[in-house]
Amino acid sequence: MSTERKVSAARLNAPLWFALTEGSRAAFGSIRAHAFRSFLTALGIIIGVAAVIAMVSIIQGLSALIDQELSGLGSNSVIVTPRNTFEAQLQGRTSRLTEDDYELIRVRVDGIESITPVMQTSGRATYQSQSSNFPILGTNHSYQTVGQAFVEQGRFLSISDNETRRPIAVVGVDIIEDLLLPEDPIGEYIQVNNEWLKIVGVLEEKGSILGNSLDNMIVVPFGTMARLNGNRYRPNIQIQMSVVNIADIPRITNSIRRLLRTSHNLGDDEEDDFNFQTADQLQEAIGSILNTVTIVMGGIVSISLLVGGIGIMNIMLVSVTERTREIGICKAIGAKRHHILLQFLLEALVLCLIGGAIGLAIGYGIAAIATALIPGFPGAYTPMWAIGLALGFSGAIGVIFGILPAAKASRLDPISSLRYE
Amino acid sequence: MSVIELQQISRHYQMGQQLIKALDEVDLSIQRNEYVMFIGSSGSGKSTIMNIVGCLDTPTAGTYSLNGQDVGGLNENELADIRNREVGFIFQTFNLLPRATALKNVMQPLIYRGIRQSERKAAAEEVLARVGLADRGDHLPNELSGGQRQRVAIARALVTHPSILLADEPTGNLDSQTTTEILGLFDELHAEGQTIIVVTHEPDVAAHGTRIIRLKDGQIESDRQNERQRIEH
Repeated sequence: MSTERKVSAARLNAPLWFALTEGSRAAFGSIRAHAFRSFLTALGIIIGVAAVIAMVSIIQGLSALIDQELSGLGSNSVIVTPRNTFEAQLQGRTSRLTEDDYELIRVRVDGIESITPVMQTSGRATYQSQSSNFPILGTNHSYQTVGQAFVEQGRFLSISDNETRRPIAVVGVDIIEDLLLPEDPIGEYIQVNNEWLKIVGVLEEKGSILGNSLDNMIVVPFGTMARLNGNRYRPNIQIQMSVVNIADIPRITNSIRRLLRTSHNLGDDEEDDFNFQTADQLQEAIGSILNTVTIVMGGIVSISLLVGGIGIMNIMLVSVTERTREIGICKAIGAKRHHILLQFLLEALVLCLIGGAIGLAIGYGIAAIATALIPGFPGAYTPMWAIGLALGFSGAIGVIFGILPAAKASRLDPISSLRYE
Repeated sequence: MSVIELQQISRHYQMGQQLIKALDEVDLSIQRNEYVMFIGSSGSGKSTIMNIVGCLDTPTAGTYSLNGQDVGGLNENELADIRNREVGFIFQTFNLLPRATALKNVMQPLIYRGIRQSERKAAAEEVLARVGLADRGDHLPNELSGGQRQRVAIARALVTHPSILLADEPTGNLDSQTTTEILGLFDELHAEGQTIIVVTHEPDVAAHGTRIIRLKDGQIESDRQNERQRIEH
């Protein structure tokens, strides 16, 4: 027979690409041939990726909802709160904001749309034989705009309510339910800390954030609040305001700072005894907490991916032993080391990537079902980075844990492999 | 020019205190289109000489030229390349890849040569047809009879158009009827110009060769030309 080589003339120019496609073909074939075992092998990766994706999706969905809720608060709102350093507390000093501070800001600072003092305590409310504890908010008519609190029935506080310290209350829907008030509670009297208050309005239902109801508030005029607390109580308040122009927030906080420092007699070397909060800040703070939770949980769950990777390595090592004879045959008919290495490495990689993809789908499903089952919980949101990370991580595990078995396979001696039974 | 040229080839193993001389200073030259039978009892060095000629093993001393090329200094990958291009292996136990179809088995050596799938398939189908298995290409090895499996193995060995066909006890696992068929195929290939080297311990098989080399204790005991009797197919 002639030794001319018809076939060898058609050599491919891209040996790496060729090796990769042929290797993947072999890898898929081998995975299909042991479908059930491949599934069990990849199970560790599947569970790991599913857990990561489900967890991240749920938390990110939550985070998206909180962002949305907070922007409802209005990003043009600024809250001034007293600031107590740990040092000051040790020295027995407690900084406060007072009604005078509120008046000062209201009169002296420009660019404020509406401003309201808010005093929050909790108290016991009683109606007939029902009684329960609720947060009580002492404020004025402006709170309606600043706190986005609108009434469903009746009216909100008016300017005169505050000036005359009228004994009235605007209540959230929870109060009606808990105290068994009539459907239309306007005109009913409830007793709060021994003061009788007439209900003049009911607030719109707002739902809950993280399981905390936003509808359990009793809103009373600021002046009335002092009576509820008794006369000895020096009110400590927050001052909430909304500004006309968001761009003015830095200027406004600066003038407030100057005013309050002067009125609180703070020296140049003393720190502010008050704080500013904006909706943006709150959003950022909550966002960073949720991100930390995501990272920590992700780290814990990643351990299962590591365990999955070890499972892959274990099975690949068994598979190399089991296929020793096959490897010997391939070497006898001309397979080089890199052919064998690539075949086993790609097998591990493909196994991990398939596992990753299945895990992704399952994780997404779990997140979707879980969020649908919990009432009031936001929808799941799977960020692209989580998908990329999960698949990248599975791929990396495939390579890292596949390289050892693949190297072992590629180093086998052809003669003894052929004799292997 | 000789296809195979062995000069003072030795293959020694150290086994504990004992030095085993599987091959000891063997000189041998095989010309193109020879049909060589290696015979001898077990332990005579038949398999060792096969492994060395097939570039699966390297001698501890001596030089081996295949098609004029000294394979002595070649590394593992270069030897793999020589096996792929120059040698077609046929084994007693067939050694097909169990999870690949007959066609895929025949295509396998061409993968290592970097040939496209469509061309591999065409080449493999041609050789399968040559060994009479054109309609068995999509069968797995365990769906084929012993004789058919050995034909697939022969097709796999031929698909690369090797310089030498190297068969180690090719009929050892076959019944007498199938043995006759396989040896008939070998005879045809030889008639077409193929160089064939067979290791066997069966005199009936050895009778097919044009040259019979008897090995004993790692050395050539006798080397004679064989007047072939006419074989009825």
